Amino acid sequence: MSAIIEIENLTYRYAPDDIIPALDNINLSIKEGQWLAIVGHNGSGKSTLAKAIDGLIAPQEGTIKVAGIKLSEDTVWDIRTNIGMVFQNPDNQFVGADVEGDVAFGMENQGIERSEMVKRVHEALTAVNMSQFAKHEPVRLSGGQKQRVAIAGVLALRPNIVIFDESTSMLDPEGHRDIIKLMKKLNTEEKFTVLSITHDIDEAALADRVVVLDNGKIIADDSPEKIFARGQQLIDLGLDVPYPESLKQELAQLDVVVPKEYLSEEGMIDWLCRLLLKN
Amino acid sequence: MVMSITFEKLSYTYQTGTPFEHHALQDISLTIADHSYTAIIGHTGSGKSTLLQHLNGLLKPTSGKLVVNGQMIDTKTKNKQLGDLRHEVGFVFQFPEAQLFEETVLKDISFGPKNLGKSETEALEIARQKAKLVNLPDDVLEKSPFELSGGQMRRVAIAGILAMQPNILVLDEPTAGLDPKGRIEMMEMFKQLYEKEKLTIILVTHNMNDVANYADNVIVLEQGRLLRQGVPTEIFSNPEWLNKHHLGLPQTTAFALKLQERGINLQELPLTEKKLAQKLAALLQREVK
Amino acid sequence: MDRFILGRYINGDSLVHKLDARDKLIISMYFIVIIFLANNWQTYSLLLVVVLGCVGLSRINLGFFLKGVSAMIWLIIFTVLLQVFFTSGGTVYWHWGILTLTHYGIVRGVYVFCRFVLIIFMSTLLTLTTSPLEISDGLESLMKPLKYVKVPVYEIALMLSIALRFVPTLMDETQKIMNAQRSRGVNFGQGKLIDQIKAVIPLLIPLFVSAINRAEDLAIAMEARGYHGGEGRSKYRQQIWHLQDTLALGLFAIVTVALLFLRTW
Repeated sequence: MSAIIEIENLTYRYAPDDIIPALDNINLSIKEGQWLAIVGHNGSGKSTLAKAIDGLIAPQEGTIKVAGIKLSEDTVWDIRTNIGMVFQNPDNQFVGADVEGDVAFGMENQGIERSEMVKRVHEALTAVNMSQFAKHEPVRLSGGQKQRVAIAGVLALRPNIVIFDESTSMLDPEGHRDIIKLMKKLNTEEKFTVLSITHDIDEAALADRVVVLDNGKIIADDSPEKIFARGQQLIDLGLDVPYPESLKQELAQLDVVVPKEYLSEEGMIDWLCRLLLKN
Repeated sequence: MVMSITFEKLSYTYQTGTPFEHHALQDISLTIADHSYTAIIGHTGSGKSTLLQHLNGLLKPTSGKLVVNGQMIDTKTKNKQLGDLRHEVGFVFQFPEAQLFEETVLKDISFGPKNLGKSETEALEIARQKAKLVNLPDDVLEKSPFELSGGQMRRVAIAGILAMQPNILVLDEPTAGLDPKGRIEMMEMFKQLYEKEKLTIILVTHNMNDVANYADNVIVLEQGRLLRQGVPTEIFSNPEWLNKHHLGLPQTTAFALKLQERGINLQELPLTEKKLAQKLAALLQREVK
Repeated sequence: MDRFILGRYINGDSLVHKLDARDKLIISMYFIVIIFLANNWQTYSLLLVVVLGCVGLSRINLGFFLKGVSAMIWLIIFTVLLQVFFTSGGTVYWHWGILTLTHYGIVRGVYVFCRFVLIIFMSTLLTLTTSPLEISDGLESLMKPLKYVKVPVYEIALMLSIALRFVPTLMDETQKIMNAQRSRGVNFGQGKLIDQIKAVIPLLIPLFVSAINRAEDLAIAMEARGYHGGEGRSKYRQQIWHLQDTLALGLFAIVTVALLFLRTW
């Protein structure tokens, strides 16, 4: 499969005289249909990267290509039609007066015919299981529901790429689960390229590939298994490790000889069972 | 004086007598002991926030009463009498950094004590102490709170509450929005406050790991009613019951449960990673022998 | 505050509710103009009957309308008294300095009072039966011709609708910040005036900061969703002009004719 996003030598400073750039010489190529998780602690530059890809900030150096088109002032609006973004705060991205009005907002911007909008609003709300709330105002929705509406707004625009910029971090466990489920569906069933900016390790574990950012630099880029096997290094970077990995570390401290490679939950259980239930 | 919190048949109804009437709390009776670390769990809408807001008199019961460190609050309590309560109970709201407004960190922290009638110098002295207590580096004290990182802003806000010198600290999802490192540091800081400053801590959280790791008393609310109260081992010992009420398990307990289903006998389900690791290590050593 | 801004719209499905917002806006404005055609008891009675008829059709309790009148009662009393005591002509009942109580004065006073009641009833009817969003849509549509004189009608309407959408969010926020500052020992609405003014600062600054942050987030979200001004935008919310809207206009045309016929020339 071909690369849908190509980033070369990207550097961005919020202020021209910032000593440490927010993004420092980023090179990254993302394949079509891939699910890429970008992880890093708060302030590592991960949200800045997402905004740069959508042309919401203008990097001082480097190039970004989306679907073969180089991002520039002239192409930014075309590129944005390829990308849908879901942000962190459910309240601050709800533009419409009610659910259907919000889903339609992006389509209105593109000047799409009303009859087409009505059709797509309905489809998108059905896809995120919110059609019964079409006339609801945002005050009457939970955070998770608002995020689902935001996703519907993205779906209605039919982009190729969906960027989730910490979209689950302000939600309660139920909302969190719902959104993760939808992300999975978008990637596997609807074949969207998914970029999830997150520090939730369970969310990252679902990705095909994980990129770790620290101080604006990519310091690791690998499969989730390989990344998670780094254990302590992730913790030093201010990140979590998946539960089996951290249990493994606890065991290692108690002088138990543990396997070096990353074990999923199933893998860890199997390993323990093999040791403990020999007979 | 009895230093504890007691709810007696407390109920609270929003917008009584209107079509929007909503029974947020119904017939709650419970006791929170002095110097305990209590976790309140339940779904969004279970009445957690309403319960919390009674603790420092932001809401008054519609019926029943509560007693906080000897002070009684019921329907008839006058707002003026609630001043002392605000002093007694420090309330850290969700995303508390939203309350910052002063020019410098130090001034913001000293805002509370000044309202309590402390002199400028006294208030600043308290502010310095509390800034240290929440591990704020010295060089940020004279900065504007709005220049700081999210995590540091939150510490400033918490210091501002601690500056009221409360005996009880109420925390409403204090780690929401922080990254993993920030979350752990924050929870460890509260542990310090609990252990060294001898504060009574009341924590509202969705994170069962935090409940397992830090609390010694758990209150479970559902639809405005008290479902259960007990120590964490009790609460988490019954996975089916938790499942039935759509409440999660701590990661360790969930993992241990799966091991048990596969035939590994752990006896009692452990709550924390350390406990599980110790149990497993012991079992492994026996195997080796 | 809650009741002031939002509680005005009362959901319903009466004939008046169902009329197009543009229709209701035109009619209320038009009605306020033709009130000034009335100049005798016949014409005022006619207008009162029309307004009360509309109120009846809306199936909204008369109390809501009276509340509107009582909110402005001091202004009304002041204006009425001005008319009563400073109008000359007709039988003089009482006289003191520059103040005179005359037959004409009393009649004029009653008429002015009627005018107030009519205007308040009609505008209250508009806001009670039309949601703020419909009003903003209706205004946008009616102001469309202003585009030719470079008035950014579309942007104004979008601003209005976003502002309306954020009112409850910001009210929530206000409540939260008030609670947070109360917990730090602030007493809102208590103590001396100077203390009360001081207490506003810890509320206003955080609210301002939060509103700016929200606005920034919102601007980015809007841009990401392809918003680049009103140019070339289509509209999802539809306003449909029904037969009943035309009929309602017709009704008021007839009222005008009757007014012209009944008034004293």
